[in-house]
Amino acid sequence: MPGQAHVTDTAYHYDGTFAGFLCCIFESYARREIPADVCPPQQAQLTLYGVRDIATDATRARRVAAGLGRLGPAVRDRIATGFLHSAAPGKDLALLRFARLAFARGPQAAQMLGDADAAEAFALERAVLGEAHHYIEFLRFEERGGMLGAVIHPKHCVLPLLRGHFCSRLPGEDFLIFDAVHGAALLRQNRRVQYLAMQRYEPAPDTEEADWQALWKRFFRALTIEERRNARAQQTHLPRRFWPDMCEMQPDAPGDGPKHT
Amino acid sequence: MDLAQKLEILADSAKYDVACTSSGVDRPGRHGSLGSCAAAGICHAFTPDGRCVSLLKVLYSNACAYDCGYCVNRRSNDRPRASFTPRELAELTIGFYRRNYIEGLFLSSAVLGSPDRTMELMIEALRILRQEYRFNGYIHAKTIPGADPLLVERLGLLADRLSVNIELPSEGSLRELAPDKKKSAILRPMGQIAVQSAASRRDLAVYKRAPAFAPAGQSTQMIIGATPESDRHILNLTEALYKKYALKRVFFSAYLPVVADRRLPALTTRPPLLREHRLYQADWLLRYYHFSAGELLNEAEPNLDPYLDPKCTWAVRHPEFFPVEVNTAPREELLRVPGIGPKSALRIVQARRMQRLGLPELKRIGVVLKRAQYFITCNGHAPARGTRAEIAGALLDPGAFGIGVQQLSLDDFAPKPLPAAAPAVHELAAQGVAPAQAAQLVREEALTCLVRRM
Repeated sequence: MPGQAHVTDTAYHYDGTFAGFLCCIFESYARREIPADVCPPQQAQLTLYGVRDIATDATRARRVAAGLGRLGPAVRDRIATGFLHSAAPGKDLALLRFARLAFARGPQAAQMLGDADAAEAFALERAVLGEAHHYIEFLRFEERGGMLGAVIHPKHCVLPLLRGHFCSRLPGEDFLIFDAVHGAALLRQNRRVQYLAMQRYEPAPDTEEADWQALWKRFFRALTIEERRNARAQQTHLPRRFWPDMCEMQPDAPGDGPKHT
Repeated sequence: MDLAQKLEILADSAKYDVACTSSGVDRPGRHGSLGSCAAAGICHAFTPDGRCVSLLKVLYSNACAYDCGYCVNRRSNDRPRASFTPRELAELTIGFYRRNYIEGLFLSSAVLGSPDRTMELMIEALRILRQEYRFNGYIHAKTIPGADPLLVERLGLLADRLSVNIELPSEGSLRELAPDKKKSAILRPMGQIAVQSAASRRDLAVYKRAPAFAPAGQSTQMIIGATPESDRHILNLTEALYKKYALKRVFFSAYLPVVADRRLPALTTRPPLLREHRLYQADWLLRYYHFSAGELLNEAEPNLDPYLDPKCTWAVRHPEFFPVEVNTAPREELLRVPGIGPKSALRIVQARRMQRLGLPELKRIGVVLKRAQYFITCNGHAPARGTRAEIAGALLDPGAFGIGVQQLSLDDFAPKPLPAAAPAVHELAAQGVAPAQAAQLVREEALTCLVRRM
């Protein structure tokens, strides 16, 4: 039971990988304690808590992963997807507490949304899935030399969640999705997928691609019904942070753009 | 005429069609073909009017032989006319689809010569797309009223969803405004699609490779506000369509005066967007909340309340139903509580197997407590007590009094009533009352009326 472990004033520091995080869960059970904080290296600043460095151990990580697997897909995916959430302080601790809840209460812990830890883990998963879904909707490919390429600026590390959708949708195509924020890319070539570390993606201008974009923009403009104009509804469904990567949201030429600043 | 120009004309002609959903069929990608479908549907862009763009929504042709009063493409309207060729349309779809601009194709058409000829051309375009380009994405095709049943069948084997527009909510209005379209010509293909789609689903359950006929079902749409039918009439019709023809969706389209005609509202009429919104809310209650049309509206109250959503209206009229105990009530009863939707109802039912639910738990689950708190009990205790005015204030729909900046030009920062605000707010603002004040006046009036009814 989670009640048997006591909340300590020790913070766990781990190496930021998922295996490292699983080792934190292992450590928490081995010592029968719930840490005060769990920090990846980016967030490890000076704290008032005592610090324990958790070494990443592949064997321990596998044991915890197998344990989470036994708790069913809902719990496993919630932790794995929630882990892709970036830059939320306390996210690792929330997932660790949820993992303990799940080990104590079984697969149904995923549905205990009245519980604070379960609700927090659910919110993390939902934020990541929501953003991934937004990119499934709003990502724009450009064709260069027979290959499709797209640039995205996501808050969370959504590339692993885009992989299945686009591989299934474009079975015969080679494509590259570049995550400019996290400096990573998903490359699919000859039916093989790999993740790359990448800092820049600057495709050369291409007239045929520019024609397709112009055609799409023209279609998009023609669809608008002026009498129903509702900019607020547009922004609710399509938040502004997605606009820079979408060709139809760009002004045509300097000085002759859509009427917003 | 170049392709871009054609696309612009034919998209502009198709934009008044409401349905742009890509939902209802789940189909993973296959090697050797292009595309997949997701059952929930995927939007790909949102235009400045806040509508989603999911499909490449175009007409095959806008050169119409008919003369329907409400339609931009009527024969007697002076407009640029264009038609695609089947191959152009297929290439356009593939080019957009690969770039993740669209989820598939929505193909409709004006009546080009005769209904049969139009359908043959549409079928040819879809055939090229499905067979030559091996397109596996979503296709929504609109059947042309009066076309041969064999053509409808061929179209259904190529498309995922079919639709037949019922156009207007009654036969009388149809006779008045669309003299070329007959009620029977609309309902016959609807019946045919319902029967064949059900038969195909039965076959598919037995034979994996049986041909799928319109696997995402059929939908329809009607124009709201061009003719004098009441909301009650429209909702009863909607319910009958769902029951009789197993429709997936009925779409409503607020009438936009696009052509001057003495049989129609004047060109200056504002589209009844709030009414359309309320009808959609009621439609949702029919499909997901186990409400029936008879419960929502009756002879004494034939129209939906502009200031209150239909579920709150029902709750106000039925105080004897409440409070609902969240820890024991069945899902159907939870769904009737204002502020609890299908998702939170499901989560409540799941979560309460593991723990007792109080107010903090409900908040975490995602219940809109602002409204729900007055209609529930948690473990036998009412979480909140409010005066009638407080409860009424929580129930009123803020969208009906929406004021905001709708920037049509760069120097336009004056707040105005939002498009979906109540007609009374628009009227007061048009008479020169400051928009914020107009909204407040109307809200106070609505609040007083509501308190009196409670």
